[in-house]
Amino acid sequence: MKVLSKAKLETVLNTLNENTEVFVPMQKGVQSGYFTWKSFENGKDELMLDVLNVYHSPKNVVLPQTEKMYGIKSKGVEVNIDKTYEDNHPTLIFGARGCDVKGILAMDDVFLTRGYEDSFYKARRSNNIIIANACYNPGPNCFCNAMEVNPVDPVGADVIIRDAGDVYIWEAKSEKGEAITAQIASLLEEKDAKSPESKPFKQNVDYTGVAEKLKGMFEHPFWNKISEPCSNCGMCTYVCPSCYCFDIQVKMWGDEGYRFRAWDSCMYEEYSREAGGGNPRGAGKERFRNRFLHKLEFYKERYGTPLCTGCGRCIVVCPNDINIVKIIDAVKEAE
Amino acid sequence: MKEITNKIQEIATRLFNEGKADVFLAWEKQGEDYQVKPYFARSIDDVKNIVFNEYSIHNLSNALLKLRDGHEKIGIVVKGCDSRGIVRLLEDLQIKRDRLYIVGVSCPGMKDPLVAGRNKSGFNKIQEEEGLAKKCQDCIQPNPVIYDELVGSEQAAKLQGERFAKIKAIENMTADERYKFFEDTLSTCIRCYACRQVCVACNCRTCIFDEMKPQWVGRENNATDNMMYHIVKASHMAGRCIECGECERVCPVNIPLMLINQKLIKDVNEFFGPYEAGMQYIEGAKPAMSMYKEKDPDNFL
Repeated sequence: MKVLSKAKLETVLNTLNENTEVFVPMQKGVQSGYFTWKSFENGKDELMLDVLNVYHSPKNVVLPQTEKMYGIKSKGVEVNIDKTYEDNHPTLIFGARGCDVKGILAMDDVFLTRGYEDSFYKARRSNNIIIANACYNPGPNCFCNAMEVNPVDPVGADVIIRDAGDVYIWEAKSEKGEAITAQIASLLEEKDAKSPESKPFKQNVDYTGVAEKLKGMFEHPFWNKISEPCSNCGMCTYVCPSCYCFDIQVKMWGDEGYRFRAWDSCMYEEYSREAGGGNPRGAGKERFRNRFLHKLEFYKERYGTPLCTGCGRCIVVCPNDINIVKIIDAVKEAE
Repeated sequence: MKEITNKIQEIATRLFNEGKADVFLAWEKQGEDYQVKPYFARSIDDVKNIVFNEYSIHNLSNALLKLRDGHEKIGIVVKGCDSRGIVRLLEDLQIKRDRLYIVGVSCPGMKDPLVAGRNKSGFNKIQEEEGLAKKCQDCIQPNPVIYDELVGSEQAAKLQGERFAKIKAIENMTADERYKFFEDTLSTCIRCYACRQVCVACNCRTCIFDEMKPQWVGRENNATDNMMYHIVKASHMAGRCIECGECERVCPVNIPLMLINQKLIKDVNEFFGPYEAGMQYIEGAKPAMSMYKEKDPDNFL
């Protein structure tokens, strides 16, 4: 089998970085997320391939938090688009966990299927490669196994690497993956190595029947109780690897400007405010309910899989200890 | 802590029995000790779930905003900093004093459940210090300043050393250094607005940042719009921040927000003081920056 010696990891990243923008999990000062390998400062930053995950998901590689769409020039009442900013420069996500790969696949479904292709997303994603880091040791908040993710053999990865001590076992899974493998062939070795043993999940989450049951629970009183501690910030949606909502806005200086999109969050009152001032989700409880119904019911109905990928990030960062696992349990138990 | 929990449960039971509370705000625990969250007890049956432990760090006064439009009688447990939050809400006319039955707890200092959670998450290579929460290390008021009933014995302030040492270090930077420092720090903001949502002083019904016509602050995630957000938010905090430190504690990208708030606390005290926000409630009293006097200094303009 092909292996990548950990001693050669930086050389590999440098080689890949020659013609691709490479993103790696990194601790950058007090920030923990996916940053460009180009920005890596030796001695200051730290690669985070050997921890469970980083706090911010790699979704910004294919769906940046802010993205320019069109350049605009106006003349009197006439408005013209003078530029479209579709960005298809090659990108590579190195070391994503299965949960985060699933997050991107979920966005693929949204942006590329069911009759409409989002050209901005398509441009980025078409030249994007994912090298997944197989995950053998789930953390206390992990439940990807219940969310249709295979952490040791994630679907959607172009290459899968497996941590075998001094080396990563390197396995190409797609044509793109084969091409990358060929590019760094001289840095890989043929050697036998043993994949790590899978450790058991530390919590047992049962999602079966939850989407179906939620269909009849829109008005269930348990939403009152369960949403009360939530302060309706948007942290959970922004650290989430699969939350993809955005808002499109315009910035103008006189006759010129641009249209851009920026992440938005269903937790915000403004998100669902209508032009006339009404708001179908004016109350915090309604926004809270929508978030979990989207994760666990609506998306599943449309795309056949839950929108939650079981990464556990929202559980870790929530200031008020809102825990999606406990919500799944509460749905199961509700009468 | 167990004794305090028992005492709080006793009080809650009494209030429900006597019809003096329709809802009682405290904390509940689900699972591990650090998995503590705000809790709205609504009947005697709920009282058994009430917990006060070393992770009861959330400023519950903020939760009163969820109840401000109702008529329920509210029991609420407050620590020193939370009680200053109640003064904030009373001064801001957000809730009526006679709706509240305030149970004050002299606070021994809390641990941060978010730190505990992060240390257990598997996301950290280096474990964070799990002792006294960072915000509690700067505490000047562990004892409640307003209450109907007090639980626990008086506690000493936790602040060691000079209160504004970190602020003075920033004041001593050159203007360019300082700009760079805040530009770098605030450019990491993801605009999740958690700092606003947990803030008891952020009690506007429609926040300026949610207004669309006009849209005061752009929605792009870049240094300019992020700094605009934080500078506008900070200026609204002048003379109003009660120094509970929740904004900085909950920030998912570790922005040291209290540096900005403490600078304002220091300045408001120097220019308009002596003044410390939310230290006592006098009916009709106004916080420092909410009124204007001709003799107010303006040499900083």
